[in-house]
Amino acid sequence: MAQQPVSDKELEQLRSASRELEEVNRQMKETQTKLMQSEKMASLGLLVAGIAHEINTPIGSINSNNDILIRSVRKMREFLNCVQCPPEVRENPEVVKIMKVLEEINHNNRMACDRIIDIIRSLKNFARTDQAERKKVNIHDGLDSTLTLVHHQLKNRIQIVKEYGDLPEIECYPNQLNQVFMNLLVNAEQAMPEKGTLTIKTLRDGDCAKVMISDTGIGIPKGNLARIFDPGFTTKGVGVGTGLGLSICHKIIQDHRGKIDVESKVGKGTTFTLTLPLRS
Amino acid sequence: MPQADSVTILLVDDEDMVLTSIRSFLAIETDYHVLAYTSPRKALEDLDHQLIDLVISDYLMPEMDGITFLSRVKEKYPHAPRILLTGYADKENAIKAINDVGLYQYIEKPWNNDDLHLIIRNGLEKTILLKRLAEKISEVEKAQQEL
Repeated sequence: MAQQPVSDKELEQLRSASRELEEVNRQMKETQTKLMQSEKMASLGLLVAGIAHEINTPIGSINSNNDILIRSVRKMREFLNCVQCPPEVRENPEVVKIMKVLEEINHNNRMACDRIIDIIRSLKNFARTDQAERKKVNIHDGLDSTLTLVHHQLKNRIQIVKEYGDLPEIECYPNQLNQVFMNLLVNAEQAMPEKGTLTIKTLRDGDCAKVMISDTGIGIPKGNLARIFDPGFTTKGVGVGTGLGLSICHKIIQDHRGKIDVESKVGKGTTFTLTLPLRS
Repeated sequence: MPQADSVTILLVDDEDMVLTSIRSFLAIETDYHVLAYTSPRKALEDLDHQLIDLVISDYLMPEMDGITFLSRVKEKYPHAPRILLTGYADKENAIKAINDVGLYQYIEKPWNNDDLHLIIRNGLEKTILLKRLAEKISEVEKAQQEL
């Protein structure tokens, strides 16, 4: 049987159908990747909250015990300084030395406890498994908690400048917004391999809140700017980035009916601006 | 307020380290008598032959949760202030329970010893004021009947 030649019109229809299929396929892959990533983040959040909860009781106990030691040593010091205390005890070199050591290590332990408690508080605040639903929150708390968690990567190298404006509480999914802050802060840190300045600025703009995260890092080349929110796009080496961070940030901000903008100059730095409606 | 050396505090937490910490703190800063238990069941059993002025309980315990435990204590000692120790994860439930069971206060772990001391002191003061108020009311009622 002689085959009918395919007309140009039919050919075009086939091509168009094929393009549509490809597009649907791409979207499906994208959704699947985002879903996997969001599930991974959810279980990671639960794990983090669980660990923080488990550490809470022992650190609470250590912190209290340290406070008791401080009070006890203070009472011993008061006794040593009172008139009833024989001078040979008060001035005994061994007693003087032990008191000094006790006071120093108690002070040291207090600082260590404060730091652990601060990190646990930040972890719990960051994971916020109790707040998977929409809530009104102060986003400065979320920014501060996230900063505490990335502090070890920034310290002694990157100067942090906070310019927080007067913002009302924002209706949002706090755990998701914290994930966006974490992504942007880590990106900013990675963009500044040497020294640099990280600026976090917030302000109210009508019915919206703006959060600007700027670095003084290497910047993003113009050609890449349009692609940075695409899933899978990364310029970082294997094991550093998944190429999903910014695409997930984009999705989260979109779900909040907000927008995420980027400005960058190679060699000067990058600013990400989040615009979030106060009530979405 | 009762004489400090005659105050008895019932303390329950399934973690022995928490009991030791709070008991040691109260030993060094107050003259309160502290009864500490890791088992809420055992604490309830012993309640029949003990007088208590205030009770502090952990929230999440394997045998019985703190709210149930405190409501059982309330049956025997309705005027003893009930304080709940909570971790962060169960804070929201704990706050709800404060209204349901009529708790005096909740303290979040990791706690601050000064705050703990203040809450205990205020709780004990409240008990005394309530006791005095009840006495006054009964005096007034008595006087009214006599009139």
